[in-house]
Amino acid sequence: MTPHSQKANPWVILLLSILLLVIMAGSCMLGAIDFSISEIFHSPIFWQLRLPRVLMGAMVGACLAVSGAAYQSIFRNPLTDPYVLGVSSGASLGAAIAILLGLEALLWGVGAFALATALLTVVLIYRIASIGNRMHTTTLLLTGVCLTLLISAVISFLMVLNQEKMDSIIFWTMGSFGSASWFDVGLMAPVAAVSMAVVIYYCRDLNLLLAGSEAAKSMGVEVEKVKRILLLFTTLMVAFAVSSCGVIGFVGLIVPHAVRLVAGPDNRRVVPYSMLCGAIFVLICDTLARIVVRPSELPIGSLTSMVGAPLFIYLLYKNKKQY
Amino acid sequence: MAIQLQNLGVAFGQRTILEGLDLTFDEGRITAVMGPNGCGKTTLLRCIGGLILPQNGQVIIDGKPVGDYSARELARKVAFVRQHPQTDFEFSAFETVLMGRNPYQHRLQNESQADWDIVEEAMRQTGTWHLRLAKPHQMSGGELQRVMIARALAQQTPILLMDEPVSNLDIAHQIGIMHLLHSATSKTTLIVIHDLNLARALCDNLLLLHEGKALYHGPIADGLTPDNIKRVYGVHATIADGHIVFDY
Repeated sequence: MTPHSQKANPWVILLLSILLLVIMAGSCMLGAIDFSISEIFHSPIFWQLRLPRVLMGAMVGACLAVSGAAYQSIFRNPLTDPYVLGVSSGASLGAAIAILLGLEALLWGVGAFALATALLTVVLIYRIASIGNRMHTTTLLLTGVCLTLLISAVISFLMVLNQEKMDSIIFWTMGSFGSASWFDVGLMAPVAAVSMAVVIYYCRDLNLLLAGSEAAKSMGVEVEKVKRILLLFTTLMVAFAVSSCGVIGFVGLIVPHAVRLVAGPDNRRVVPYSMLCGAIFVLICDTLARIVVRPSELPIGSLTSMVGAPLFIYLLYKNKKQY
Repeated sequence: MAIQLQNLGVAFGQRTILEGLDLTFDEGRITAVMGPNGCGKTTLLRCIGGLILPQNGQVIIDGKPVGDYSARELARKVAFVRQHPQTDFEFSAFETVLMGRNPYQHRLQNESQADWDIVEEAMRQTGTWHLRLAKPHQMSGGELQRVMIARALAQQTPILLMDEPVSNLDIAHQIGIMHLLHSATSKTTLIVIHDLNLARALCDNLLLLHEGKALYHGPIADGLTPDNIKRVYGVHATIADGHIVFDY
């Protein structure tokens, strides 16, 4: 027998890419107003609203899924993702503060604030939850929950004080692509491209980190350096995703888990497949969010959470024996 | 490749673990590291493996202090089998052993046929080839331990550090692994082991640690004397027909 190949299968990548393109096209055509292929390119709605929205959806989905896969390896815990850990909330706090300070017009301004608070959250969680070289699930999850609650409280407080400047609380807790613009796409694209390239570059190290920090080091991984680089870039992705589209929950949990079920645990497959599947998943959810109750819209986070929360509970139940 | 300890000292806070160790582990020899619980055996191995930095002195491998090696360089010289293998994610035994090839691969490069052959050989030597598709939860503690030994062998290092590698194995596999270390490899091996008779039969040298210091370092047959055993472990023993017998 030959154990199956470790690397990502180019045919799977091609297939998922084609699927993504088809879904992007479909997502461009469906919404409050449906377009046919012939009329779509003449419509300002397509150029000004749909296309940037679809591009943002794909990028944010990819980023959240990849960061989830990376967090799960770095924290050595399958129940981790940016939302559950509270990193998304952390980013939303920074973004909200930047908006209140009037930094929206400043290129990268909101993203930089979001990154700062998100990194602070990651460091806090890392410090609180690491016992020895292990991450204790209970402490990790409780810390995440507490930080999320604290931060949403602070954000609601800020919103009451500055009602005219802030969007609704729904945006920050459930996410929305409704206001996605070409400006957002321009900000997000380089961040997404660079960060995902970094994570893909370190995929083999992510595998070894799963064996434990000391084992990874014995097998030639500069553990502290690699962890720092990966946490920085994954958190960067999350920060920019959140500052443009709000907090969309559970994408980083659902997608890598689904991918692992089919493709096995090797991050050299999990990360690239998650990237494409994350984009596909978020686009499907966003399209559904637009058409289910049209002409009004569902918050996209309510859809992702409806899939994600039950899965999370199932995983918690399944892992019960181990802890 | 020999390992030199120069005035090695380690303390955790106020507690001194190792003190003034000045000795050389000769190339190609199997040294049993023995002593009671908490005497610093694991700490010594972790120092040599570059996992902790000593407060005093240094470990020299191939003419260079361990602290000056990059993780990758050191992983080509030293492999470490630890006491409690940890695996939360479902890598198969084959994938686990394949990780041992990491120090020889570039980040974006895939495993070569040579890597696969090395992994197969390591798994056959440790009797784990039939488990190659097994996931961690499908293996017993002893099987998992042999997979970890296979992973260390796949690293193809001149130095092998093993922290109680045979503690979970049945007697046949204990002897099998010890013979493997003896015959199939010419590695400089440090092995933490509690079975005095097994060590005496199958190791070349003994490092007997007592309160952080080296009480004895030399040929094992001369070191495991009733006197030393009494001093280190506080139990009475006699030697009959080359076997250590305890007074219970």
